[in-house]
Amino acid sequence: MSIDPYYLQQLAIGLSQGVIYALMAIGFTLIFGVLNVVNFAHGEIYTLGAFVGLLVIATFAPPLVVVLLLVAAVGALFGVGLERIAFKPFRRFSDEASLKSRAMRESTLMSSLAVSIVVREALEIGFGSQMQTMPFEAMINKPIALGPVTIVTGDVIIFAVAVVMLVALQWLLTRTRVGLAIRAVSANPLGAKYVGIDTDRTIVTTFAVGSMMGAAAGLLVGLYYGSIFPAMGFVPGIKAFVAMVMGGLSSIPGAVICALLLGLSEGLATTFVSSNWADMVAYGFLVVTLIFFPQGLFGAGRERV
Amino acid sequence: MSALIEISNLTRRFGGLVAVDGVSTSVAPGELVGLIGPNGAGKTTLFNLISGFTRPTSGTVRFKGEPIDRLKPHAIAARGLARTFQNLRIFPNMSVFDNVSVGAVGAIGQSALQAVFGRGARRDEITARTFAALDRVGLTDRAGELAANLSYGKRKYLEIARALAMKPDLLILDEPAAGLDDSETAELARFIRELNREGLAIMLVEHDMNLVMSITTRVVVLSSGRKIADDAPAVVRADPAVLEAYLGVEA
Repeated sequence: MSIDPYYLQQLAIGLSQGVIYALMAIGFTLIFGVLNVVNFAHGEIYTLGAFVGLLVIATFAPPLVVVLLLVAAVGALFGVGLERIAFKPFRRFSDEASLKSRAMRESTLMSSLAVSIVVREALEIGFGSQMQTMPFEAMINKPIALGPVTIVTGDVIIFAVAVVMLVALQWLLTRTRVGLAIRAVSANPLGAKYVGIDTDRTIVTTFAVGSMMGAAAGLLVGLYYGSIFPAMGFVPGIKAFVAMVMGGLSSIPGAVICALLLGLSEGLATTFVSSNWADMVAYGFLVVTLIFFPQGLFGAGRERV
Repeated sequence: MSALIEISNLTRRFGGLVAVDGVSTSVAPGELVGLIGPNGAGKTTLFNLISGFTRPTSGTVRFKGEPIDRLKPHAIAARGLARTFQNLRIFPNMSVFDNVSVGAVGAIGQSALQAVFGRGARRDEITARTFAALDRVGLTDRAGELAANLSYGKRKYLEIARALAMKPDLLILDEPAAGLDDSETAELARFIRELNREGLAIMLVEHDMNLVMSITTRVVVLSSGRKIADDAPAVVRADPAVLEAYLGVEA
């Protein structure tokens, strides 16, 4: 018995979409879920990554690896800047009452949203709101035939980068001192402070790492589709958010698995219903998860990693 | 004898309230000092001032001869002043081992690049310190378990182990006996005394008068932000001012 190649192709498309969501979800979950701060500007870090990439490619046209490293470095700087502007001012009060205060913690919801709007508008003023085209030579969409299914180089590259990020991050969180500090700060900032952990620096480091990954994701997706625009970070941001919630908020592997699931389901929805319904899948998943699995599909996220 | 920690004329106002009012005292190396006082006497504020959580309005705190009253809590901790909390501040979702490692990491330092790439000696040192501290409190065999699975009593020891992993010069215990039954308290008292005999200076805030009086070498009494007594337990116990503060009557 053989499956119609058409469906295999749709499956491959769905999977590649899922890997793209996963790429975004990794950095997002690190900051949002593991560090336990509400960050709505991650989508703009992603967009900035794509635009910095475009500028770098248009100016120097270096090899992809160099572009990726440069964009990641700039992404880390953006992350540090974002943290200083939108998050640090709300950590001035570190007494018991304000640490417990939801209002205090969730005020960053507004400040990070504000940063995201400012960045998006600034990009529109600078570049216009229309699509910018990535130089054709730099794009990662050369077809590769795998039997009956055709994928492109970008699928392989994005998959590889996502795997490297996931493994590197798990290693960072569970095997290094920085990772131990990140987990300690997320579990109990005050306790961490009193045993000598520099919570401020730990949080900035987490933002740098997460934003590095966000910016790299934006670049790769830009090169994959060939066009970028100031509002491009919004939809992947929502999808990453859904994947994170489904994965149990604080589990990076959980978010990745759910991102893949999300991409596949959207692919199937496009195949069997219509592409208009694809976005409904994500929101449907979110609602179902919140109602039936409020702890996420992967349990209570026992360890915040 | 030079003091390990020297508090001089420490005052902290919150608006019109003087929570700590011109308190001076010190702890010498190897001492086990109790800090007592009725509710609202300023014990917690004094601790917060010492550990860098609150800045003094005036006065100074010197630790090992250097002023620390302008430093941040993590910097003070890294200099060898560890504390535990009345309401435990462990990391429930992390393993017992990792909980204690955080103390070692905090004390050894966590420069980002060095922490990611620095292997070998430092990592061995962290592991060694962690196991030594776990061993000291008798939690070695539970190293792999989640901290959340420990009983309340064991979590107290976990928090102490985390502080010990920092190899502190001064350990501040904030109401360690709160929530423990009599036999657990007795065991804890024995343990605190043992730690002290091994040379660790300890400052103990405690409501349990029997515990304080039975193990400390000196007791500091606060009342309404001021120090009203600072002497050997037997002397403090008989001090009319202390009795008045505690019982609210003329003794």
